[in-house]
Amino acid sequence: MRVLFVVLLAAALGACAPMPSKVDTGSKTVGERMVLKPDVAWNELPGGTPAHVWTMEGLPIDQLFIYSGIKDGEAIDPAGNSSNAKHFRFRSSMQADEVASLFEGLLTRNGSTFELTKLEPASFGGGKGFRFEYTLIRKADNVPLSGLGFAAVNGGQLFAVVYNAPRMTFFPRYEARVEQLAQSARILPAPAAPVAAAAASQAARDSQLGRGPPCATPMECNSRGVGR
Amino acid sequence: MPTWQPPPRFTRPDPASDEGGLWAQMDRAEANLRRSPFRLRDAALERTVQQIACRLGEAHCPDIRVYLVHTPYFNASMAPNGMMQVWSGLMLRTDNEAQLAAVLGHEIGHYLQRHSLERLRDAKSRSAFGQFAGMFGAIGLIAQFGAIAGMYAYSRDQESEADRIGALLMHRAGYDVAEAAKVWSNLLLEVQARPNGSSSSPLFATHPPTEDRETALHELAARYAGGASGEADWLRSISTFLPTWLNDEIKRGQHEESIAFLTRAIARPAGKAEYLFARGEVYRLRARSGDSDQQSALDDFRAAIAAGNEPPETYRGLGMIYRARKEPAAAQASFARYLELAPKAPDAAMVRSYIEELRT
Repeated sequence: MRVLFVVLLAAALGACAPMPSKVDTGSKTVGERMVLKPDVAWNELPGGTPAHVWTMEGLPIDQLFIYSGIKDGEAIDPAGNSSNAKHFRFRSSMQADEVASLFEGLLTRNGSTFELTKLEPASFGGGKGFRFEYTLIRKADNVPLSGLGFAAVNGGQLFAVVYNAPRMTFFPRYEARVEQLAQSARILPAPAAPVAAAAASQAARDSQLGRGPPCATPMECNSRGVGR
Repeated sequence: MPTWQPPPRFTRPDPASDEGGLWAQMDRAEANLRRSPFRLRDAALERTVQQIACRLGEAHCPDIRVYLVHTPYFNASMAPNGMMQVWSGLMLRTDNEAQLAAVLGHEIGHYLQRHSLERLRDAKSRSAFGQFAGMFGAIGLIAQFGAIAGMYAYSRDQESEADRIGALLMHRAGYDVAEAAKVWSNLLLEVQARPNGSSSSPLFATHPPTEDRETALHELAARYAGGASGEADWLRSISTFLPTWLNDEIKRGQHEESIAFLTRAIARPAGKAEYLFARGEVYRLRARSGDSDQQSALDDFRAAIAAGNEPPETYRGLGMIYRARKEPAAAQASFARYLELAPKAPDAAMVRSYIEELRT
């Protein structure tokens, strides 16, 4: 344990760690279209592209990655990746297992090992989405982590919260808070483009008639419970 | 090189010397590796690889300690204290025992010539030392550098010398030296399949030019003709690990490299259905609506079933494609078959929800 502490401390000090800011309880808009309501304060790291990174204990102990409105073709890994590896890009046609695979690829690109332990339908963002659990052994320091993620595709964009922390102490300590945070998520409607005004008007009429608008993707249909 | 003879076994250097410090550092790395969760603790496979290393290392056999490491990248390394790491991504990619022997022989060549000590003495700056330490996997993030992580920290001359010694060791151990050139050309196929091609690969910064190396390896094969490849034994040795290693490969997200490798591996005489499923899954994960990948995936899944002993996930893949193609009956049947074969799969609840959705 002492060795782990020294490794983590050295990593934190040596990395010229950026200063986090406090995320207070209450309503918090992340990106343009997602609102979260944390019931406890979190710390947020500077940046926010492509993921907003929150933490309770500080990096590298625990990380909450929040993706808000990742568009078709956008990468979920940070720009400036110096390796020759291909980026992990979201596609709006992705199914739940493909999104989970995308995160698996991202989390294992440094040689860490990942095991998906559960993938199931779940409510997220005010509609249907999915929830996944995983274990991860971090290559850098051999620490076993547990992870939990929620995701949904809305309007062809990816919304997700993915959390991981050391399996033994920190993950059990914060798991319920992450669940609460994910359940608080609300995805706001995409701003109507001028060309979409007529479609929006039609959608309103459809809604009055009890019909939904057509789905952009099979996953979105699924998330809205729309039969295809 | 014909006059080259291996040096006598090394003795532990003076702890006060630079070499002694290097050994001490590697001893610590080995202690960590011994209890690492990444260590692949399979006595039979470890014994197989240790025996290959021993045949190559001859009198140095007692000093070589093989550790198998579960990491899906092409890499092996040998530290000056005798610690040898062999990563699962390398074992997955070797078609036979001789190809693995080519890589291990190359690493033993570095060890016998004490190249790491030369590099240590060359390393004037801290940053160079950082790269040096990464050669042995002591730095956890070395996999970020890609498929050939640990191999590009030596000089071109040292690499050429290790190739020559490795070929000689292979020949003396009874392996077909022609397989060494195949390892290199197979790796090149993967690197060149990357969307950004081979030009940006660090492999080419320090290694001998591709053509030179292939030419040299072919010349060595001609000089040391004969020998066995050990294909059947090797494929049998790794067969139980294929599902895990192929899943690692699929999820790397480096689709073009994976397709290049799997297209080659499908021709192996064992594991055909598993390789076909894996390539189909890579196509499925890469597919964009309207492109040919979805059809390629479908073809591979069907071919895996035709080959027999297909993984249960083959049916999940089929179901996902039929679902996307709006063929509900075929999708439901495929998903049902998947759940029948893998009722406790981690995604069983998700798949059941797809079946429900398709019924409505």
